[in-house]
Amino acid sequence: MTPLIQLAGISKTLRGQGAPRIVLSGLDLTVHSGESVAILGRSGSGKSTLLSLIGLFDRPDGGRYVFAGQDISRLSERRAARLRSDSFGFVFQRFFLLKHLTAAQNVAMALVNGQGWLPRRMRRAKIMAALDQVGIAHLAKQKPPRLSGGEQQRVAIARALVRRPRVLLADEPTGALDTETGNLVVDALHATTNHGCALILVTHDHDHAERMGHVLRLSDGVLHEARQEVSR
Amino acid sequence: MIRLSGRLRSALIIGGQGIRARKLRALLSMLSLFLGVLAIVAVQAGSEIADRALLADVELAQGKDGTVQMYLPAHPRTIPIVLDTLKDAPDAVAVIEGQAIIGEPGVTPVNPGAAPFDQSFGGGSFYPTFCDASGVCYATGPVGGPAGAPPPGQAIELRLVGLTGDIRRFRPFEPDSGQWLDFTGDASLSPRLVINREALKGFTRHRVPAEMRLTGSTVNPTPRITGVVHDAGYGPTAYVRADELLNWQATTADPSRGGGPGVMVLLAPTATGIEQTLRARLAAAGAPMDQIYVSTINSREHFTDQLSLVRWIFYGMAILVLLIGVAGILNVGLATVGERVEEFALRRAVGTPRLLLAGIVLAETLFIGLFTALAAIGVGMVGLTYVGRAVDRFAPLLRDVTFPWQAGVAGVIAGVAAGLLGGLVPAVRAARIPIATVMRA
Repeated sequence: MTPLIQLAGISKTLRGQGAPRIVLSGLDLTVHSGESVAILGRSGSGKSTLLSLIGLFDRPDGGRYVFAGQDISRLSERRAARLRSDSFGFVFQRFFLLKHLTAAQNVAMALVNGQGWLPRRMRRAKIMAALDQVGIAHLAKQKPPRLSGGEQQRVAIARALVRRPRVLLADEPTGALDTETGNLVVDALHATTNHGCALILVTHDHDHAERMGHVLRLSDGVLHEARQEVSR
Repeated sequence: MIRLSGRLRSALIIGGQGIRARKLRALLSMLSLFLGVLAIVAVQAGSEIADRALLADVELAQGKDGTVQMYLPAHPRTIPIVLDTLKDAPDAVAVIEGQAIIGEPGVTPVNPGAAPFDQSFGGGSFYPTFCDASGVCYATGPVGGPAGAPPPGQAIELRLVGLTGDIRRFRPFEPDSGQWLDFTGDASLSPRLVINREALKGFTRHRVPAEMRLTGSTVNPTPRITGVVHDAGYGPTAYVRADELLNWQATTADPSRGGGPGVMVLLAPTATGIEQTLRARLAAAGAPMDQIYVSTINSREHFTDQLSLVRWIFYGMAILVLLIGVAGILNVGLATVGERVEEFALRRAVGTPRLLLAGIVLAETLFIGLFTALAAIGVGMVGLTYVGRAVDRFAPLLRDVTFPWQAGVAGVIAGVAAGLLGGLVPAVRAARIPIATVMRA
């Protein structure tokens, strides 16, 4: 079976005000459809950088990125935006909901993005289906300030799911939530793999990582198997 | 095409949401832009109104654009030929000009030379003058003239204009009171006069007997004033049927003599046949053909040239005010983009192209510009109505004036242009926000 995501020899150096810092050096990763992968690592180890490369927010300095059999290492910005819209969903630690919009309008953000146009009725149906998938369809007309942290994160997950992505990238999605709510959010994320969506979860929480199909640790710029470490 | 439409719709929807979410900021931007757009609307409206007013006055005084003016030479056969040629010619009118004095015989009129009544030399006392039996007046004193001028008396001197047809086709006189000349029926021996406002001023101020002295006539007819019109003329003028005038004045009078009638023919642009006929007949009669002058009225172009400089000066000032408004939009726009960095980064993360992000910001500033333009146009329309009413007595120009559509178009263009200009830099900045911002937040 063709892997959905195949990273080979990926390297990335961050160049800021200080000295250049090598974050990823020769990193390999393979993810298939329907798989779930947890990535652990110390702060600053490059987890978020890796996620931004997978999600086409940024480009690797070296290596090869093949997505669904297609080399996308040097994709133009326009095509990258198209691919992000069609194939990727993102969930962040901070929910990034626009507080002046309702939950439904926040979810609609992923549909009203200039990548094709859906009639209002079809749009509404997709939004409600996404909200229903994460169990908050009844909160569609609520604005974020009136929602709890868990509810807000689920709105963010619905926004990520509304276009039926092939890959869901979650960057510490439970970081701002209590344990119980965090578990509910991880449940909602993990449920997406049942529909063939690949899930890549960056987390510090070993319990959440253990529930993923693969557990990897990012250190020294490369990924290592870490299932046993988590089980301990 | 579908994608473009989708992007446009997306930009409009998201832009609208952005404005609704930041009503106060949108209002402040509108306030900063309002004066600039209003200035553009006012300048455009003012210049259109001035154009129309000037053109209307020129049409009254000279004739409508396209009218052909044919000045004919002084010759004993000129008037008979003109009268005969223009008989039953609806697209041409002959204008026979002369002087007349209405009032006491043998006195110097209160306005020698048919001068306006409010001018100091028109009061009859600045230069002593006297008029001979034929009605020709001479200035004495500094200018010189025959000695023994008659004493000043109750008489008014007018420019007398004999017409062979209804001149209003070429010069649309505005009726003030009474009736315009009736060219049907026989000529009356008591010439019917339609006077202009300046002449009315004279007859209102001075009580004069109804006796009219005509240039080149030894008998004084009794005139009847049947109406008053506005002809945009400065001097007192009376219009009369040419045949009623010529009942008392010889048609063969030589215009080359002082005070003799001059003849001009006003022709519609289509009446080229009449011009050719007149030329042929005058040539056959031995009239000096090199003294025929033909010109076509083209006032609009003339005044447009004259007004354009003033208009551009005012436009320059208005554009400066508009630029201040643009700076306001730019300022608020940059601040807003700075606040919405995460939103724009997130939008890019969910697949929104850079171009659409710029479009969202531009849509917001365009909406602001458009709303401001509508507000400025509304204020301009209401303001013009109220100003027109308030200064009705002092500025008849503004009476019944309507808001020119050109000013509305100028306002919309100014608003949209200001929105585009003010939104351009914030739009570029929004499009350049790095997507990784959301990852590092």
